Amino acid sequence: MLRESTQIADNEVNLKDVTAGLSDGTQIPNAEVLVNFAEAIVSRDSTRIAEARQVVADTLGNDATVDAAAVVSAFHGFVRIADSIGIPYTTAVLGQDAPEIREEAGINDFYRIQETG
Amino acid sequence: MSSIPFENSGFEVRQNLIDAHTEAWSRIASPGTWLTGERRLAVAAEIRQALKCDFCAEIKDALSPNAVSGTHTATGNLSDAEVELIHRVVSDPGRLSQPWSQEVLAGGLSEGEYVEIVGLIASVMIMDTCTMALDAVDTDLPDAEAGEPTRYLPPGAKVQAAWLPIVEPEDVVEADGPVYPSPKAGYIYRGLSMVPESMRNYWAMANEHYLPGEVIYQFDKSIRALERPQMELMAARVSALHQCAY
Repeated sequence: MLRESTQIADNEVNLKDVTAGLSDGTQIPNAEVLVNFAEAIVSRDSTRIAEARQVVADTLGNDATVDAAAVVSAFHGFVRIADSIGIPYTTAVLGQDAPEIREEAGINDFYRIQETG
Repeated sequence: MSSIPFENSGFEVRQNLIDAHTEAWSRIASPGTWLTGERRLAVAAEIRQALKCDFCAEIKDALSPNAVSGTHTATGNLSDAEVELIHRVVSDPGRLSQPWSQEVLAGGLSEGEYVEIVGLIASVMIMDTCTMALDAVDTDLPDAEAGEPTRYLPPGAKVQAAWLPIVEPEDVVEADGPVYPSPKAGYIYRGLSMVPESMRNYWAMANEHYLPGEVIYQFDKSIRALERPQMELMAARVSALHQCAY
């Protein structure tokens, strides 16, 4: 999804940033502001969330802040379904396996692939 | 807590998101397919409890989830198998395994109960995370609605691609009700299909947070206040922080 959407929008993305954190290789508008907010929400640290949320609100406004919170929240559900039902990660890229993307993004280092194959 | 989702948020939250939360909480309080409304609310309370469980924090910090032993700090209203399922899926979902899921089932849960509980976990995690992210208080758990679960088991459900049974698009029957918006629905969509009602309820709520199925693959389009690459970057980062390989 990330690769497809950035190609169409003519943005640059370093897929390794997905696991390693943001670098200069990813050129998406306000990427740092949004990723900081996403990481803060995952941490569930209220102080960190408040600081990051304020930056999003100041930079992008009310509606984008709401939608950023909503998208980040959605993936707190999706990952739990995927990982507890054990759906095949080999269908993750539009129904297909993409081992080169898993390797490039660092996903092959994840527990499920390392420990359970 | 508040009985109205996002009531105390300092942000103007779009009405369809508020409605999605309101409707989802109402459905959680109603009898499901395998669980009564009372038990479904006990699951919701246990999900919130799991976020405060010291043993879950120990497991999360350990190099291997199997390296520590102990007892979950639970509400006391559910079985050990239910507590293990809820706490582990809430706190450390990226390090679950098929043998672990089989142990949970062997602990006394049916596959239908397991899948319905996973649907509740995913739903409550989305809603509580969203309210937290927008500086609102948790929504009150509603009162349970009386009634019996339907105990509907789709005839096409089978273990094939995943650890738990799934109804593949070609195996859907009329009695299942609406299941897939498209026969090409991805496996993330199929995950809860063994319990079609849970699946419908979950996606009705989740789609208002991310994107409805009809626009997911239209990468040049965004119906939100963010550009699509911005949404997908956050989504990918959140998935990675959960160690989700999907």
